[in-house]
Amino acid sequence: MTAIIETEGLVKRYVGTVAVGGVDLAIDEGEIFGLVGPNGAGKTTMLRMLATLLVPTSGDARIAGESIRRNPMAVRRVIGYMPDAFGVYDDMKVWEYLDFFGRCYGLGPGQRRRMIGDLLELVDLADKRDAYVVSLSRGMQQRLCLAHALVHDPKVLLLDEPASGLDPRARVELRELLRELRSLGKTIVISSHILPELEELCTSVAIVDRGRVLASGTISDISQKLRIGEVLRVRVLGDEEAIESARSWFEAQADIASATTDLSGQIEIGFRGDESGAAALLAAAIRAKLAIASYSPAATDLQELFLQVTDRDAAAQDAVPGSGAAA
Amino acid sequence: MRGRRAFIIITIHVLLLAGFAWMLQRINEESMAGLGSFGGQATYASASVGRGIFVGLLLLQTLMVAVLAPAATAGAISSEREHQTLDLLTVTPISSFAIVVGKLMSALAWIFVLVLASIPVTALVFVFGGVAPDDVVRGYAVLFATVIGLGSIGIFFSALTRRTGASTGLTFVATLVFTVGSLFLFVYMATTAEVSSNGMRRPPPQAILWLNPFVAQADVACGTEDGASGGSCSFMSSILGPADDLAIPVTDPTKPVPAFRGGGVGVMEEADVATAAVFDTNRDRFWPKTVLSFLILATVLTTASIQFVSPTRRWRPSLPGPVRRRIRRRSAR
Repeated sequence: MTAIIETEGLVKRYVGTVAVGGVDLAIDEGEIFGLVGPNGAGKTTMLRMLATLLVPTSGDARIAGESIRRNPMAVRRVIGYMPDAFGVYDDMKVWEYLDFFGRCYGLGPGQRRRMIGDLLELVDLADKRDAYVVSLSRGMQQRLCLAHALVHDPKVLLLDEPASGLDPRARVELRELLRELRSLGKTIVISSHILPELEELCTSVAIVDRGRVLASGTISDISQKLRIGEVLRVRVLGDEEAIESARSWFEAQADIASATTDLSGQIEIGFRGDESGAAALLAAAIRAKLAIASYSPAATDLQELFLQVTDRDAAAQDAVPGSGAAA
Repeated sequence: MRGRRAFIIITIHVLLLAGFAWMLQRINEESMAGLGSFGGQATYASASVGRGIFVGLLLLQTLMVAVLAPAATAGAISSEREHQTLDLLTVTPISSFAIVVGKLMSALAWIFVLVLASIPVTALVFVFGGVAPDDVVRGYAVLFATVIGLGSIGIFFSALTRRTGASTGLTFVATLVFTVGSLFLFVYMATTAEVSSNGMRRPPPQAILWLNPFVAQADVACGTEDGASGGSCSFMSSILGPADDLAIPVTDPTKPVPAFRGGGVGVMEEADVATAAVFDTNRDRFWPKTVLSFLILATVLTTASIQFVSPTRRWRPSLPGPVRRRIRRRSAR
């Protein structure tokens, strides 16, 4: 597969801050690509640069071969953008809303009529055709805004926090909708700080923090590449002291990234080794007379991955004083 | 403005204007009757009434437009920002030029409609005489230029600021500066200027008043007057200085000799009052500059607004370089 979105050293700097500090990404055609990161990580800035709404301070990105710097007009024709916070014109009906944006893209009357019918069907708003936009629920408005981004049948969809403010049911519906769009051949870039949401949906993700991509690829790729390995959960019998001494014992072993005690008294171990290593670790623990009641790997989900990657990053920055300052 | 509301508003607007015109007519009639010094020259009295109505209507509409045009445009772009719809528009292939000009025109379309709807009321002055059709055309040219010029001030501030409130405030301050402030400044400069060798105070540059729509309408009104003696013309003369060749009447032997009229610059025998050809030197001395200035202002401000709206603009308002660097240094620390 070929990359439909490529960014090269994308930087956006504001006075005193670096919103996005040198991002290199390649997103293949037909992917659902998730940008994950805490609030203020630079996800929105990245998407806005891709949507040609912000000019990068340096670097460039190409979408379907067109540069966002040199040819923003051509980029605008291949992308559909749904902003984080979007507004609606309050004196417009649903079909007029889509018709208006259809005109913005220069569609003829026949094309617009067909497009409005198809899109309202797709986002399940066909019966709201003549309703005023303001009268729609939040979820419906969100779907309408998604429909508006599809007016010109773009190849790439840039969705900024599309599920924010939606109830669980509307979220499931949105997810179904995005899958359907993917099956129609669209490439979707989606940002969110709600990890489980992306986990089920995305073919690959990029973990973003403080304007930089800390890791990108499929979820399993990332965990391998970073040698995060497994997270082992160990329950040790005994009082707090016993648990603490067990924790410090684990921490002292080889191949251990971290060992922390959670609220329930379980020890969480970030383990870099493989399964046989984990078995050897257990054997060693028993030899050390630790009263181990349970010992199991925890599934590495996106949340875990995210926490680990950002923790690591923070630790690395603490280790090198000054490197965390704005470049 | 959709549906019946527009119709109702236009109707009320025209009715109010007509009522105002009627009151002007009564005022002028009564003052004419009170003068009684025209030897029964009913034509002249009627023309005076017509002029009075015309000038009153023009000034009223200028005032109306000076309030409505900035108000209509001051929220045009900032409200799109507030409703978070500007991004939705900007990511479409529509150019920033089209967005700004479209916003300006759609905001002003409504005011153009009101101004156009008033033309039949203004045309009532032809019943009284004293005002020629081309005077009406002049008056409306200034009105339309005022709408565009002051409207572009609103667009400019609404593109510059994030909040409609701030934009509205700045727009009205700017409008006040152009209308009231410029005249005040002119009067100040005129009365405090140095006395030059000929014993006169040097007149301040009239460019100060180019963007003042009221002065331009006074100039249009002066075009209908029959000499430097009229109210508007003496006002204009105080700004522009006396017109050249003012006292030289152009005699046209084919026209009947008009009766002597009181006032005026000397006795103007054999002058044709009806065509006012004699006083052409008094005409068009100022208002074309206003129209041109407003159009230039609109072009400049619209271009600037396009820059503010465009995400790929080259120039954006920012702090001066040294200040910016100091802030960056401080935040890096």
